[in-house]
Amino acid sequence: MLDLQDALRKKEIWAIGGGKGGIGKSLLTGNIGICLSRLKQKVLLVDADLGGANLHTTLGIGVPEMTLSDFLNRRTENIQDIVIKTNIPNVSLISGAQDFLDAANPNFAQKTRLLRHLETLDADYILLDLGAGTSFNIIDFFLFSDHGILVVLPEPTAIENAYRFIKSAFYRRFKKVVTHQGIKDLIDAAMDQKNTMGVRTPYDLIEHVRTLEREVGEILELEVLKFRPKLIVNQVRTKNDIQIGFSMKSACQKYFGINLEYLGYVEYDDCVWQSIRSKRPLTIEYPYSRPSRCIERIVHNLLRKEQLTLSTFY
Amino acid sequence: MIKKIEDLNFYELLEVSPAATSQEIHKAYERVRRVYDPNSIALYSLFTPEETVVINQRIEEAYRTLVYEDNRKKYDAMLRDRHELPDIPPPPRPGLKYQPRPARTPATVQKENQLAVTSPDAPATPRPVQEEAAPVPPFIGEFTGPVIKVLREQRELSIRDIADMTKVNARYLELIEEENFKKLPARAYIRGFLMLYAKAIGYDPERMASDYLKRYDAATGFPHSLRKKQEV
Repeated sequence: MLDLQDALRKKEIWAIGGGKGGIGKSLLTGNIGICLSRLKQKVLLVDADLGGANLHTTLGIGVPEMTLSDFLNRRTENIQDIVIKTNIPNVSLISGAQDFLDAANPNFAQKTRLLRHLETLDADYILLDLGAGTSFNIIDFFLFSDHGILVVLPEPTAIENAYRFIKSAFYRRFKKVVTHQGIKDLIDAAMDQKNTMGVRTPYDLIEHVRTLEREVGEILELEVLKFRPKLIVNQVRTKNDIQIGFSMKSACQKYFGINLEYLGYVEYDDCVWQSIRSKRPLTIEYPYSRPSRCIERIVHNLLRKEQLTLSTFY
Repeated sequence: MIKKIEDLNFYELLEVSPAATSQEIHKAYERVRRVYDPNSIALYSLFTPEETVVINQRIEEAYRTLVYEDNRKKYDAMLRDRHELPDIPPPPRPGLKYQPRPARTPATVQKENQLAVTSPDAPATPRPVQEEAAPVPPFIGEFTGPVIKVLREQRELSIRDIADMTKVNARYLELIEEENFKKLPARAYIRGFLMLYAKAIGYDPERMASDYLKRYDAATGFPHSLRKKQEV
């Protein structure tokens, strides 16, 4: 077990995504940030949901003057200009793009410039709130971070999107490490579920690549082991809903070979809805509510590099 | 090295260590079976219905192999041949009151009981050939008193052990196994005892209690209207 104090010393980037919209990504980002700030950490929240930014609303801030689009479109060169102080100590915010349609689709150069500048900022933790969907922008931010966190609801729709997200992230990561154009094309083709090569699962793909180029297959296998996304199940209502996290972990291990880490769950409670209505963050408005407690537990698990286990649960 | 589902050995499939007790294997089986239930939403969009059927068949096979000592020994030997299992059995786990012990088939239990009975100087009585004695679980039809007793003996646990584990009086445990309904305390207490007993031997408490109490109700003529009220 890592000591909490040790874990608190390093600068880290956490990305929170999940494929489906409306599953609480922004809410969790904001509140995880607040929990971290209470541990005397400097937190920077970045609304990377470029098309539908609303992280500022969950923190109770009006539409900000300077947003990410100003930086992406080079209206300002200094990233410090778009950092907004919030009224929560130690929490600052970079709000998402508000205007310009094209700001929702930055090119690769714009993205790398943003990420490079983010790393220069004075913060212990940078939390990226990703948008819905599985576009390259979202996936790239997810893969770039130190910890990629997936949010799901105990519903088939959210789970379907989460698997889709994992698969996209996974194959994009594959493509990054492979240089051979033929294999890149193969990975593209494998993304199509109805492909003609009989590649259904990531195992099939690795096997297929291995027959073509042995070494590349081994590199891909290593990538599988290094890819460790984290999972949060939001809005749980029953004990069975909590179980879904363990089930997904098991299924991911067997289907993708990926080690999905089950960070924790957040209980369903009307106080979440009330806090959003009053535009005040949950962990400030209702610090002793059950969802707030759940979020605190998730933050502790993240810092200690731990996850829920069946034995702690039973 | 990552493996396809078809290539996982039975321990990996059930997500247990090769040193797991039969109780642990049973628990893991119940859990994994729930995960790969065709209606499990955690699998949604991941596996096709045909794949789910295949996985479930393999899970059943794994359970049936590992839960019996004889089958498990054979399987372990096979794994050792393929170098998937270390040669030396794992050391006993410290701090565990009841050390891992695979369940034995009724045949072996019976054989050992007979060995114990025949003292060395007694004339050698012809041992009845009953090697293939009635197989009880893995799929228990119904949890009756005698079935529970067999399950307990398979795990080499005495009434005393169960009493220590559950803090239920040994006398009551015996009465449960004997199905001595007249001497047992009120129905609500029996239910509690059964739940604890089931947990101790690693079976689904709800199922064991409800199976047993059905027999209890039938034998004692427990009124139906009252039964509903008690269970709410």
